[in-house]
Amino acid sequence: MIEKALASIQRESYDPRYFQILYLGSFLLYGVSYLGWDTALPKYLSLFGAAVATQLAFSYFTTKKYSSVKSALITALGLCLLLKTGSIETAVLAAVIAISTKFILKVKNKHIFNPANIGIVTAILLSNDAWVSPGQWGSSVVLWFLVGAAGLMMILKVGRMDTSITFLVVFGGLLFLRQVVYLGWESSVWLHQMSNGTLLLFAFFMITDPMTTPNHTYARIIWAGALGAALFIASNFFYVQTAAVWLLFMISPFTPFFDRLFQAKKYAWSTPQKSTNPITT
Amino acid sequence: MAVASLGQLVQAFCGFYVAKAGAELYNNKSEVILVRDGKNTTITMSNDFTGDVKDFAMVVPVPNVLNRSDIQIADRSIFQMLDAYSAPRLVEYYDANPCTPIIEYDVAEKALDNVAVAKPTMMRMLQDKAKYSVTIEAQYKVAEYDIVLLSAKNAGGLKRWLTDNGYQIPGKAEHVLEPYIKSGLKFFVVKVDLNKYDPKANGGFLRPLQIKVESDKFMLPIRLGMANSKGEQDMIVYAFSKQGRVECTNYRTVKMPTAKAVPTFVKPHFGTFYGDVFKNEYSRQGRDAVFLEYAWNVTPTFTGMKCDPCVGNPPYTREITMAGVPWANQNGVTTFFTRLHVRYTLDKFPEDLFFQETPNKEMFQARYIITHPATGDLSCDEGKRYTQKLKLRRRQELVDLGTLSQWDTHEYYDYVANGTGKIKKKNSNDENELFPIGGESGKGGPMKMLFFSVFGILVLYSLSRLSSYSTG
Repeated sequence: MIEKALASIQRESYDPRYFQILYLGSFLLYGVSYLGWDTALPKYLSLFGAAVATQLAFSYFTTKKYSSVKSALITALGLCLLLKTGSIETAVLAAVIAISTKFILKVKNKHIFNPANIGIVTAILLSNDAWVSPGQWGSSVVLWFLVGAAGLMMILKVGRMDTSITFLVVFGGLLFLRQVVYLGWESSVWLHQMSNGTLLLFAFFMITDPMTTPNHTYARIIWAGALGAALFIASNFFYVQTAAVWLLFMISPFTPFFDRLFQAKKYAWSTPQKSTNPITT
Repeated sequence: MAVASLGQLVQAFCGFYVAKAGAELYNNKSEVILVRDGKNTTITMSNDFTGDVKDFAMVVPVPNVLNRSDIQIADRSIFQMLDAYSAPRLVEYYDANPCTPIIEYDVAEKALDNVAVAKPTMMRMLQDKAKYSVTIEAQYKVAEYDIVLLSAKNAGGLKRWLTDNGYQIPGKAEHVLEPYIKSGLKFFVVKVDLNKYDPKANGGFLRPLQIKVESDKFMLPIRLGMANSKGEQDMIVYAFSKQGRVECTNYRTVKMPTAKAVPTFVKPHFGTFYGDVFKNEYSRQGRDAVFLEYAWNVTPTFTGMKCDPCVGNPPYTREITMAGVPWANQNGVTTFFTRLHVRYTLDKFPEDLFFQETPNKEMFQARYIITHPATGDLSCDEGKRYTQKLKLRRRQELVDLGTLSQWDTHEYYDYVANGTGKIKKKNSNDENELFPIGGESGKGGPMKMLFFSVFGILVLYSLSRLSSYSTG
């Protein structure tokens, strides 16, 4: 009996989401404490409260599995890290929409939109006081993001490192060809653009979400490559400064097509055995 | 250049404005007004050129060939007005005597002197299309200026054209011109028409040029100005938008420390104090941030407070129109004003500055507070308690002064004990010895320590998980 309980606790502790929560939480702490973001505690608390409450409410009427609260916390952290708003109402709206779409917009039991992403997009579209600050991280956070992301990926085997790497290689490669090779800027200009914290956060923590990226490795590589190329075009030729969140929103509905084209097993959280890891299946 | 009067002193809701630290504090500075309206950006460039006007020259990369109607002359006073309105401010309060609660008010104001520096350049104009592969797209005479809009095929040709026409182009400029040409930018090239220039008008200064460009890019090209690498340069950006604050998208936009109580002796030295606060904050943030000094709703019909307290008169329809805002007369349209201060060097600012409008309407001002102690007989019980509290408060003011400006507060130890606020330097009778001794900022602080501790624990914890994975 006790052994069973211990085994269950051990299994639970392998859930990568705990680590994701800790890492994203430390980034939020960094933003508020060191980068001088607005310390709007009531706003953050309402956002977290709304996300968790929505998750619990939907779980109660559907699966009755409450371990998914961890996902709600990750979504809430993602919203705190990327979405800026002056009002509590908008923060709550973003959180409620982010979580509810997970339950409502589903194809083959897999949600279509990254929850934080759709929360941000709808908050910007529906309210008139939400925005994204691409410059809020500056360029000196690269190391922390890389350490955090690499740690997360390697240790926890979420197995979506391929998405991040493909995205960054395609975007960075095209950007280098344009900025340094063609236009003739110094490579420091390219490096400055690549070390933007918002870009890295997007690459390592948003498009690695196993629930909204294609299941098959090849599909993910094509998907991430397309996203990287689209971001390059949008930012360099149309000067859309917050293009990443809009493009992810637009590309997300295509994920089910990728899944149909390339069959692979859906990712499941809480899987300590390597055999169930999506990379190896 | 001495600064003109600071305008009428305005009593505000909480305290009085007593001093400001305006743009004139910085030696190597420029001031720009940016107005963003959809895809249109109106850019007004201040002109502090003090040399021989025949040496004046200016080259600005622009996204398209401007029409004559896109080029205006602005009044110099608009910069002084916006600076005076939005400069970091010092306000003062007076404690009431707890024994005889009579409130006394006294106000003072302090203007700051400055020296504006500009660089002389040679100027002469010729044209030879075949030789330079440079095309003169348009040519205008606007008041005292001769303006040429150029497009070029290569940086070498453009540089030769500019050099042969008397513009002193720094050696490294070619590397910067090339990317601009390949991005399809045109060049707005200005010299002074000596026949039209009246040295007696406008106090001998050249007037600011105001240009309107249409582009998805909302940016300011700073790279050309850094080509001759003069070290640190300051730029004050006064931005107007319909939505809310303007912020930088490729560098961090950080608020200046505000609402801090500082010792009363800071008052006559407020300009120096703020200069040091800025310098300290600039280093502390890693020398690569853009600083927010002011943000306010300045819509002419907005009935709320326009500043708190006002350092200068707030801009109304006339001034807002002068600044290049096309919607100033439209009812029901918000006009939001943002003042950004950027100190840039080539190593930390490799890219031009890109901006975005945000819907953030939160007002902000860089504001520092001095509180004068109560005067008169303080021998009653309440008065004694007040004196004790006053000492604690002054100790805290000294601590905050040290943190903000890096001044060596040990020099001012008399301040806590001496209720009059007069300062004596240790072992010295010289009461004017007030200037900072402290060195560069000590980076960090408790929050940074906390962050790094938490992050360190996370990394260690993760590594332990890694080993459990590899072994299990």
